[in-house]
Amino acid sequence: MTWLIRAAAIAAVLHITPAVVLVKRPDAVQALLPGADAYFAREVHLSDVDAHRLHEVVDWSPEDGVLAFYTGKTGSTVVGALEFVRVDTPHGPIEVAVGFTPAGRIRGVIVTKATVEMKPWVLEAVAGGLPERYRDLKPGDAPAGAAALAGKTGNLAVYIAGEVDKGVTRALAAYGAFYNHVRA
Amino acid sequence: MLYELRRMEAPIKWLVTCLLATLGLSYVFGALMVSLYAGFTPARVAATYAGPEMSMPMPPESTMVVNRPMSMADFAQPEVHTVDTNLLIQDTHVHVPMYGVIAAALGVVVLGLSLRRRWALGLITLLFAAPWLDFAGMWLTKFVSPRFAVLTLLGGWAMGGAYFIVTALAVYQMWWSPKGVAA
Repeated sequence: MTWLIRAAAIAAVLHITPAVVLVKRPDAVQALLPGADAYFAREVHLSDVDAHRLHEVVDWSPEDGVLAFYTGKTGSTVVGALEFVRVDTPHGPIEVAVGFTPAGRIRGVIVTKATVEMKPWVLEAVAGGLPERYRDLKPGDAPAGAAALAGKTGNLAVYIAGEVDKGVTRALAAYGAFYNHVRA
Repeated sequence: MLYELRRMEAPIKWLVTCLLATLGLSYVFGALMVSLYAGFTPARVAATYAGPEMSMPMPPESTMVVNRPMSMADFAQPEVHTVDTNLLIQDTHVHVPMYGVIAAALGVVVLGLSLRRRWALGLITLLFAAPWLDFAGMWLTKFVSPRFAVLTLLGGWAMGGAYFIVTALAVYQMWWSPKGVAA
């Protein structure tokens, strides 16, 4: 409720600017699933119970109740998995691509979309080393990109890092609970 | 009526002309933005506002998984820009007051035109009804039926049409009608 009131108050003075693609999805896929020559989508349609469980953990539900993971393979060898997670902010949505190694640790994080307004903040956060802060995290770990950038970049870059933290938290929770633990 | 644009001093006419030109510029870019993010056909508007929420099936009783192969081309496919409920709340909150201010500004211009009362009333009603239709269409498309996308299109065209009528009449009456030139 507090979030809603805050969002409404901020929206009252801010105009949501159009979305811009920062990194095209195919480029993000190639960067986060390096060397893969075959790709598979694994769409997990969550039951009410599981959707509620995920919501309790990260205060988020995926669009349409479907988690989409993308797996990359080279021959029969799994290169890793990837998720695109959307985070709605009072300034508009951002999209974060989170790639995992076969061992289940984060290989990389790329902000693929933002809005015109947020783009410079994202670029500053990325230039400040934000993606490196997530490398090697595993489900259960807490991303702390915003804390790492505090004092080193501008406040708006730190703000964006906090939003990216949310996306990575969601990706970690979804991956940990549903990627390998639900049978097709 | 004391307030008649055609009889106003040139600086006032120029002020109104600049206002109309500025609004016209914003309308042109508004239309370009619509073409980029929503489109001008009922199908594209419905895809933007109804999105997957309209066709969303009930959640399964137990979580289920669907696997399918993907090609790189699948990742490259352009995504349909969708506006979910949260974003539509924000859009409505931000746009409707601004549309109200624009309709009021154009309405003040209408008051200064030499028009029959019924035409003036009709034009003022159109100025305000157009954004109502626009946003009513978005909400009805999302929560009632994608068929209401046509309302949004109607509202958008009505906004453009009302602006065009007001501007054409105002510019003509201020700068070209005999009384206007003499003022």
